[in-house]
Amino acid sequence: MVSKRFIAKRLLLLVPVLFGVSTFVFAILHLSGGDPARIIAGQRASEEVVRQVRQDLGLNDPILVQYGRFLVDVVQFDFGNSYQVSKGNPVRQVLIARLPVTIELALYGQFIGLALGLPLGILSAIKQDSLLDHTTRIGALAGISVPIYWSGPLLILFFSGYLGIFPAAGRIGSTIFLDNSWTLLGMELPLTGMVTIDTLLLGRPVAWLSAVSHLFLPAITIGVYSMALVSRMMRSSMLEVIRQDYMRTARAKGQGAKITVMKHGFRNAMIPVITVVGIQFGTLLGGAVLTETVFGIGGIGTLIVSAINATDYPVVQGAVLTFALLFTLVNLGVDITYSYLDPRIQQ
Amino acid sequence: MSTETTDVGAEREERGRLQRILSSPFLSDLLSNRLALIGIGIILSMLLIAVYARVFYDLGALESSRLGGSFPDRAAPGWAGGPAAANELLFGTDQAARDIFRRTMYGAWIALKFGTITVGISTVLGVTLGILAAYYGDVTDNVIMRTMDVLLAFPSLLLALALVAIFGAGLWKAVIALTLVYTPRFARVVRGAALKVLEDEYIDATEALGAKDPRILFRHIMPNTLAPITVQSTLNFGLAIIDIAALSFLGFGAPPGSPSWGKMLANGVEFGLQSGRWWMSFFPGLFLALTVLGFNLLGDGMRDALDPRMQDAVD
Repeated sequence: MVSKRFIAKRLLLLVPVLFGVSTFVFAILHLSGGDPARIIAGQRASEEVVRQVRQDLGLNDPILVQYGRFLVDVVQFDFGNSYQVSKGNPVRQVLIARLPVTIELALYGQFIGLALGLPLGILSAIKQDSLLDHTTRIGALAGISVPIYWSGPLLILFFSGYLGIFPAAGRIGSTIFLDNSWTLLGMELPLTGMVTIDTLLLGRPVAWLSAVSHLFLPAITIGVYSMALVSRMMRSSMLEVIRQDYMRTARAKGQGAKITVMKHGFRNAMIPVITVVGIQFGTLLGGAVLTETVFGIGGIGTLIVSAINATDYPVVQGAVLTFALLFTLVNLGVDITYSYLDPRIQQ
Repeated sequence: MSTETTDVGAEREERGRLQRILSSPFLSDLLSNRLALIGIGIILSMLLIAVYARVFYDLGALESSRLGGSFPDRAAPGWAGGPAAANELLFGTDQAARDIFRRTMYGAWIALKFGTITVGISTVLGVTLGILAAYYGDVTDNVIMRTMDVLLAFPSLLLALALVAIFGAGLWKAVIALTLVYTPRFARVVRGAALKVLEDEYIDATEALGAKDPRILFRHIMPNTLAPITVQSTLNFGLAIIDIAALSFLGFGAPPGSPSWGKMLANGVEFGLQSGRWWMSFFPGLFLALTVLGFNLLGDGMRDALDPRMQDAVD
């Protein structure tokens, strides 16, 4: 069992980190030296207009006042309006529209990584020094050495350009349009923003197939990288567990080899693997930025890149904070799972 | 007279140390690890290529557009069905009719140079901060490590992008951004290792003998944290090269004409992906992946050789 006290303690520890994260995000705007008023008003605007915009934005107030106002806004997930990328619209709205796209991509990538990486790592450890072990080890090492912005283009060139079986870019066929909501028992409900789920909710199998085929290559691109990391970690963790006394005891009691490995070995070996999966989720989010760029997918990753190019600071701030929050929450989840698997941690 | 004897003594001590290092189980383990040797081989080859390109190729010529010259643009390599004029072009040409082979070779220099600078600075910063935090504890420890925690709360590439939003684009600025991204990792590892050393009794003994803080820090604590630092640096070298190239790929690192691998891959995606011009992406990426693989092979080998628990797991 995970005690409530442990969870409360972990949540409390998040407060100073999130406070620091917000402070850093606040600093992005003020250290960059750009003039937001000038960016909003445009290069040709008169000095007077710029001064007015500056006044409206509250940029003339003392820095501490601005900081206090920023913190109050951040707690409500309010970053003001976009300057350029989605001009005039609230950043929160832009983020909410884009976030499911990135999460969908990251989840499928993580799923592929775990589904292939865990069994490969276990097999590699059990059959140590076999041909399978060597192939997995070298393959995994090669997998983490290949940058996503190389494997992505190569997959596109081969599967899309040469074989022509998967689309190269986008999230769904360009002739397919989805409704904004779906109905269940007469109630109108909002969609998730994840195309592979939305098409199912709307009951449109052809559109679903299109969404899946569009997601296939990007998900594989991230998934292969994630698989390499997971299988490496699972192998070394399993190798260590196999040598423990309790494994020998279980075998001595007459338990079969397979059951011992799965029942005693797997659970114990998963403990460090889960930590790594949590930490690597950050890499995965970074990978999502690159994958979205390669495959022309409009998620938060491509949003942040275009926002930096357009010096659209509120969007940059919002996107960076969203990523940090996502990463921190995943790691919180990892900590809690960890303490569930190994109750000693809680003390 | 007396100085002479100490010199001789110091020299003997130095020689003894060298011998100890050479006959250490670490080095022999590392050298008997075939994969680590392949890693060293790859790194040395890349280093040779980098130095050769730096000395013999003219960077200006590699950067400028060759449109209108003797080669067609976006030509496939001669051996892969390219036009006759491209026979001498091993890797084909890019959208500005530049020789991808030479540019890829020069890319090795850019990657290794900026990778070394990034890892070097973040190692020094991380080691200093980590040791100070471990040794002084209390407020110093809290201030340093909580700052590191905040930096570690960001996914690394995202933190780099946020810093790029502050500093602006450019290779040197990308290096500064990535230095800040990597420093916390070193600080954390070093702090952990230093804390373990501090528990040892000989530190108390040294303190009792009246040794000053700097002496304890640099003479006793730092050498004992060198092993985990070296492994960490090697493994992060590969990551640093990938991340620098990633920033260039996204348009925030090397300038447009630069023969950096990241920028060349961006060109490949922009000008070669839809039309199936695979050579624009394939070759720069292959060299990038090989270099990173080299550092990962070496780093893995070093970690296995250092970790006594994994001894029997090593070939």
